[in-house]
Amino acid sequence: MDERIYDLIFICRPATPEEEVNKIVTTLEHSAGEHGGKIEKTERWGTRRLAYRVAKHREGFFVYMVIKGTQGDLIKELERRLKVNDAVIKYQTIRLDEELKRQQKLSKHRERRAARRPRKPAPGAPPQPQQQQVPASPAE
Amino acid sequence: MPDQPGSQSPPPPAAPESPARPEGHSHGGPGGPGGPRREGHSGGGGPRREGGGPGGPRRGGKRQYFRKKKVCRFCVDHVDFIDYKKADQLQAFVQERGKILPRRMTGTCSRHQRWLGEAIKRARNIALLPFATEL
Repeated sequence: MDERIYDLIFICRPATPEEEVNKIVTTLEHSAGEHGGKIEKTERWGTRRLAYRVAKHREGFFVYMVIKGTQGDLIKELERRLKVNDAVIKYQTIRLDEELKRQQKLSKHRERRAARRPRKPAPGAPPQPQQQQVPASPAE
Repeated sequence: MPDQPGSQSPPPPAAPESPARPEGHSHGGPGGPGGPRREGHSGGGGPRREGGGPGGPRRGGKRQYFRKKKVCRFCVDHVDFIDYKKADQLQAFVQERGKILPRRMTGTCSRHQRWLGEAIKRARNIALLPFATEL
């Protein structure tokens, strides 16, 4: 099975004490471990203004995590835990591995093209009329 | 509101005049410049919009205005992935009320607009961007 990468953001009530947040994070880590996943990174963004009212709150404490896992059950379990917790007012999980793969592919492609480009003007200017860009750029 | 037109009587007449002039030239050319123009362009619909673009400069600057070609900002910066977490950057592509700006306004290319829309929708879901700002 391919390894999947997920982004998980959850928002706690602004009045939640720090220990409560830590407790949520450790339980998530624990249950991720049980389901063969791993939490790569945890970022506390702190209290931020919400763009709209959520559960009658205008602010929330944001926690951002990057999770690696292979089973879909992992996310199901994590979301269940977040749903059960009263301190959490909103959460979102996004599967990102395919987009990251696409990004890597594109940037690799660009690097390769960039590496090829410097060679072209020197030998390619007179004999190679294949690409229109090459004659156009000296003309300009 | 009713006081303003009375007190500022000179500016309002001046303002409508200036936008009216370019319109009059581009549309209602039938008198002088309209004749030759139609010959040059095969279709009558062409000169109405910016279709007159390529022909305009040749005729000795008859064109009143031309729009600068917008370039996709993401293509310029070689962006391969639009991060939904950077809400402040996405804010630039959203109207005041929270609507996603169309491509024709921002000049974003179709591929990046697609990614952008997705990123904005994700950011909305997690309360980083508004669905609609309440007034």
